[in-house]
Amino acid sequence: MTITRRAILALSAAAFAAPAFAQDWPTEPVHVYVGFPAGSSPDLLARIVTEPLAEKLGQPIVVENKPGAGGVIGIQQMLANAEGGHAIGTSINGPLTTSPRLVPDLGYDVAAYIAPIALVATSPLVLAVAADSEAADLQGFVDLAKAEPGALSYGSVGQGSGAHLTAELFDAEAGVEMLHIPFTSYAEVTTSIIGHEIDAGFMAPSAAMPQVEAGKMRMLGVTSAEPFAQVPDVPVIAGNAGVPGDFKAELWNAFIAPAGTDPAVIERLNTEINAILSDETVQQKLLDMGWQAAGGSADDLAARIGADTAMWGAVIDRIEAAK
Amino acid sequence: MSAWEGILYGFGVALQPAVLVYCLLGVTLGTFIGVLPGIGAMAAISLLLPITFYITPEAALIMLAGVYYGAQYGGAVASILLRLPGTPQSAVTTLDGYPMAQQGRAGVALFTSMISSFIGSILGIVVLVVLAGWLSRAATAFGAADYAAMMILGLVAASTIGAERPMKGFAMVVFGMILGCIGTDVNSGAQRFTFGQTELMDGINLVALAMGLFGVAEVIGNIRNAERQAAPEPVSLRQMMPTRDDLRRIPFPALRGTALGSFFGALPGTGSTLSSFLAYAMERRVSRSPERFGKGAVEGVAGPEAANNAAAITAFVPTLTLGIPGDPIMALMLGALVIHGVQPGPLMLEARPEMFWGLVVSFGIGNLLLLILNLPLIGIWVSMLRIPFRYLYPAILIFVCLGVYSVRGASFDIAAVALIGMAGYLLALARFSPALLLLGFVLGPLIETNLRRAMLISRGDPMVFLERPIACGFTIATAALILVSIWQAWRRHVSKAEEGK
Repeated sequence: MTITRRAILALSAAAFAAPAFAQDWPTEPVHVYVGFPAGSSPDLLARIVTEPLAEKLGQPIVVENKPGAGGVIGIQQMLANAEGGHAIGTSINGPLTTSPRLVPDLGYDVAAYIAPIALVATSPLVLAVAADSEAADLQGFVDLAKAEPGALSYGSVGQGSGAHLTAELFDAEAGVEMLHIPFTSYAEVTTSIIGHEIDAGFMAPSAAMPQVEAGKMRMLGVTSAEPFAQVPDVPVIAGNAGVPGDFKAELWNAFIAPAGTDPAVIERLNTEINAILSDETVQQKLLDMGWQAAGGSADDLAARIGADTAMWGAVIDRIEAAK
Repeated sequence: MSAWEGILYGFGVALQPAVLVYCLLGVTLGTFIGVLPGIGAMAAISLLLPITFYITPEAALIMLAGVYYGAQYGGAVASILLRLPGTPQSAVTTLDGYPMAQQGRAGVALFTSMISSFIGSILGIVVLVVLAGWLSRAATAFGAADYAAMMILGLVAASTIGAERPMKGFAMVVFGMILGCIGTDVNSGAQRFTFGQTELMDGINLVALAMGLFGVAEVIGNIRNAERQAAPEPVSLRQMMPTRDDLRRIPFPALRGTALGSFFGALPGTGSTLSSFLAYAMERRVSRSPERFGKGAVEGVAGPEAANNAAAITAFVPTLTLGIPGDPIMALMLGALVIHGVQPGPLMLEARPEMFWGLVVSFGIGNLLLLILNLPLIGIWVSMLRIPFRYLYPAILIFVCLGVYSVRGASFDIAAVALIGMAGYLLALARFSPALLLLGFVLGPLIETNLRRAMLISRGDPMVFLERPIACGFTIATAALILVSIWQAWRRHVSKAEEGK
């Protein structure tokens, strides 16, 4: 890939960051870059973690909302402000896994410029249909989809979004073909399903749940390997209705730093974040928003980024081949 | 719970002293951020969000909502006085409000805007309470084809407002639509005209466009007048009072504006900007003397201001009854509720009646507070015009930059507003209407997205625009409007020809 000027600047800036000694760190307020607006799910999640984190670090944390381009701008801004070693970030999976494939002029190479800190939380998607849908369960849905390929349509929150790629993965694994209708938010997808304009959608559980409780929607399956605590009654898709047992699609959210950040600083942050995530009230707050607390080492996160990049890369290959 | 019980219950919630204080705080803040160019409800609510973690969810919602509808009151002030819309919704108010101010009738224009805003809000609340169920069903009944057909009607109806010549107006609408193409294509994910700038992936920032076209362009245009003052002599109380003729011109436009605003506000994603443009177009069409519009017609202020305030109230319908936020600001407010463990959704009305009814009653109280707050402020706002331009304009530029930056924290947008400002100045020199450019910019992407989505859903069958009853109604209305316009033009042509003989 071509290395852009911005990326080189970011990398050299990150190198400046190294001399800050880990035992003194942080010597000034820490800036956490979030690629989504205030009040959005990734922003609220960041604030749930940064509030106790600021106490543990003994320095205030400033949440910098830099929304745009599906979270990519948040990472670009973190890299651009890496000098001084007090800029870290939170990101959803997209900018770290699929954006390099989908966004031209990304300005960063994940492996070279991003140092993983820790996975914060994961969330599956649920396959939601209108309450009066003909499909009684997942098997019924797959049967309907197979009866007439392309007849069922589903909504997503945009081309290349988690909701879109998950549905494409489901298509491939279940051996069905559905028509993709891109929207820009779950609010639009919800309205469209309830209004019977489209048939289904892979949605964030917390976006679907209120409609399910009101009897306007049903959830046919969840994309995680295990049942999800926020919607415990929804069966897993994996191993059901002819879908292979290893089917798994999850969104996640993680803390990251610019590459070149002192490994001891990364280690410190990883330890603190894991401690925060082991707190039950934090876990409950996350769950109320539809996130399952995760945690783990920085290497675990690096492995997750690698595995998801490969998995979604294959899905994107398939979409591009179909064009 | 019946509506009466609900309202009584709501008074119990909204009249708690602490809640009342937060309501007052919200509407006051809303007025001021509305007045300041560029700084919108979005930025103010984002800043207030962390505070809401420490107060009760109903107080939080009432305060944030107060900022939201309070900004609609304030938005008109700078539009009227300085041709500088405080919010994109009030851009259309510049068309007649600013000429009124130039004629020394700034006080009357502000009075008209406040009273119309109040009428729009209060009737909007009545609509919200009486028709919430019906409106929420309408919101889900609207599909992509219906939205596309409706927006096309809106575009046709409003595409020549405020333009000297229809062709010039049309050119601006099209130019706005072209600018609206910039960014990520929703259907294919392709980057259009972004030139490798990730900042352009989500399109040109609407606030930057509005502030550049109106605010910055106006400042550039007045540089040569820097030594002059706009209104040297103080404004007397008598000048602030509307004449009997002015008063007579307020109620009907305000009522029509309210009807339009109430309807469009309740549809997720269309919002108050569209409704104020349509209200203006409607007033000009029903007026017996349309030639007065653009030269300081009271109706041109009353209609749009009532519309955007009514829309700001009924915008809560999908949010409260379906849990579906109609715009990003609503999504932000719902985020504040989620933090408190309140799950917004169709069941919220039953599960948390204090949220719904408390909020509805707070709308009434808040609007009353806004009226009491704003009427005495008219004199102060008008006296702002006595500040010499050399102090006023640099201050305006600073606020524009702050406001534009506050939307998403991108310095890119500040560079953009400067460039757009220069382009806006050139357009103003050539007498092209910036309001129409803005209309095209707002409507263009909505029409494109919904049109293509409708075609995708119908598998490419254009008959969907006639088969769906709602879409069919709008399509027929659009066709009728075009035919009537052609007929009128033909008749004018014929009568002129006969006079010539």
